[in-house]
Amino acid sequence: MIAFLVTILTLVAIAAILALALNLQWGLCGMVNFGLVGFFALGAYAAALLSLAGAGPALALLGAMVITAACGAAVAALSHRLAEEYLAIVTLGFGEVVRLTLLNESWLTGGALGLPGIPSPTLRLPGPGGEHVGFLVLCLIALALAYLVVERLARAPFGRLMRAVRDDDVVAATLGKDVVRVRIAAFAIGCALLALGGALHAWHFGYIDPSQFTPIVTAYAFMAVIAGGRGSNPGILVGAGVVMLLIEGSRFLKDVVDFVAADQLAALRLILIGAGLILFLIYRPQGLGREYRRSAASFPTVPAPASS
Amino acid sequence: MIAQLVLNGLVTGMVVALGAVALTLTYSILKFPNFAVGGMITLGAYIAWLVNVPLGLPLPGAAVLAAIGLAAVMLAADRFVFRPLRDRGAITLLVAAMGLSLILENICRLAFGNVARNFDVDPERPWRVSGLRIHPEQVTTAVVTVAAMAGLWLVLRHTRLGRAMRAVADNPDLAAVRGIDRDRVTRRTWVLAAALVALSGVLIGMDRAIDPLMGWAYIIPVFAAAILGGLGSPGGAVLGALLIGVAQELSVLVIEPNYRQVVGFVAIALVLLARPRGLLGVEEIRR
Repeated sequence: MIAFLVTILTLVAIAAILALALNLQWGLCGMVNFGLVGFFALGAYAAALLSLAGAGPALALLGAMVITAACGAAVAALSHRLAEEYLAIVTLGFGEVVRLTLLNESWLTGGALGLPGIPSPTLRLPGPGGEHVGFLVLCLIALALAYLVVERLARAPFGRLMRAVRDDDVVAATLGKDVVRVRIAAFAIGCALLALGGALHAWHFGYIDPSQFTPIVTAYAFMAVIAGGRGSNPGILVGAGVVMLLIEGSRFLKDVVDFVAADQLAALRLILIGAGLILFLIYRPQGLGREYRRSAASFPTVPAPASS
Repeated sequence: MIAQLVLNGLVTGMVVALGAVALTLTYSILKFPNFAVGGMITLGAYIAWLVNVPLGLPLPGAAVLAAIGLAAVMLAADRFVFRPLRDRGAITLLVAAMGLSLILENICRLAFGNVARNFDVDPERPWRVSGLRIHPEQVTTAVVTVAAMAGLWLVLRHTRLGRAMRAVADNPDLAAVRGIDRDRVTRRTWVLAAALVALSGVLIGMDRAIDPLMGWAYIIPVFAAAILGGLGSPGGAVLGALLIGVAQELSVLVIEPNYRQVVGFVAIALVLLARPRGLLGVEEIRR
């Protein structure tokens, strides 16, 4: 039971990192990333290949993040001349290219068989299953760091810039802001975080193959961000946790109701995800959380009277 | 060899053209890229299969019923998904469309499973015409596509609906001032688009097989064709689709066949870099 709980929490931490990344790109900056799973897979494979080649965890992680961020920057730059809805199709295409490459370049990626035996870092904690708990601690540290980074960014002037670009890029450009650079930077940082999630995924399973990286991952991340509240990082953590618990929890459903087959259950889950997306967009577009807003009243305008 | 590839590419392009024209129609009226087109293709094919195989109706009749059925589904989607979100901007609408695509695709998976299905048609031997192998399905595809395009052209050019659609596409406010009911035009656009997409679903089902992922495989070529043609231009979408189809087939001469689907992505990238308004588009798609 403890082992199961540790596994679930590890998966929730990874899902939360993906959701934070998507929130940075889509929630804060308005950039729809339908190819999220492609960047996630790229990060996972890069980290796995570097680990297998003997690089230390830090180096493997850094390499994966740099490679993925560079690809993200290229994709964002490619679509910079267009209305933001075209980024969606370009990222979707990028995801397909990644999938095809993983399947077909067997000399590098192992093709459909994937990469087994990925060495992974962990903390050696005492007790039974200590290394799993240790890895969970690593994941939670990574999640905390990712959270601090995105929360810091959201509250920094750069965060205001991202929201300005999202809400009206013409106004932002008129005010002399470099809209293209903001978009590319936000997208690249988000992709680096997706690579972090990918690396943790690869290390957690120790084995990766293309079937783990289907567009369903993208759908889950969107659901987490919409439910959690676009622009609200604390809400995203809750959203990712709830979505992952529902997904993992509904696996037990097939023990209870045995008349639904496993693939029917998967289909049903995706129908619910699609319906959830639409219902949240219509009835609760702000999600469960609230976007960080600094109200005018919180700015010191006149010095407060000295007497108290 | 090359002539054979070009022929196959043109036929593939025709199937893509139906979806691309539908995408371009909905884009010009509703002003968002309809990512539900993948789920629509799949659902259209499954409705036709349901009528054709378990119910035993001949395929042409099944195709007509698929068009009607998909039109009804899209009218419901317009009422319950897209209309409430109409004023929330293209980004919200396109995410909702992706959600709708998930729903449509997985309803098919839930009802019919992951097994590939086939229409009840007798396989015929391909004809040989001066060294080319021509499959009867390819002729059917060509005839159906050309007929559908001609019909659509008549509707767009010579009916009140076509004029109203062009007016709304051009300037919705001005159209509203002239008494054009935007909601009604929107609904009829969905009907036209659904009919075209259902036909393409049936043709794709004839060509390969019917499975829940069939529509997903066509999203990128369909978008590539519409963007290549300049979104909002039906003629451009047809031209773009034929080019994408031929380029996909010819690409096997230089790259591995497995990477054929990359052609659509590369085409999008090139258009975006070199000519953002597409081949026949009048307005740039940038803002």
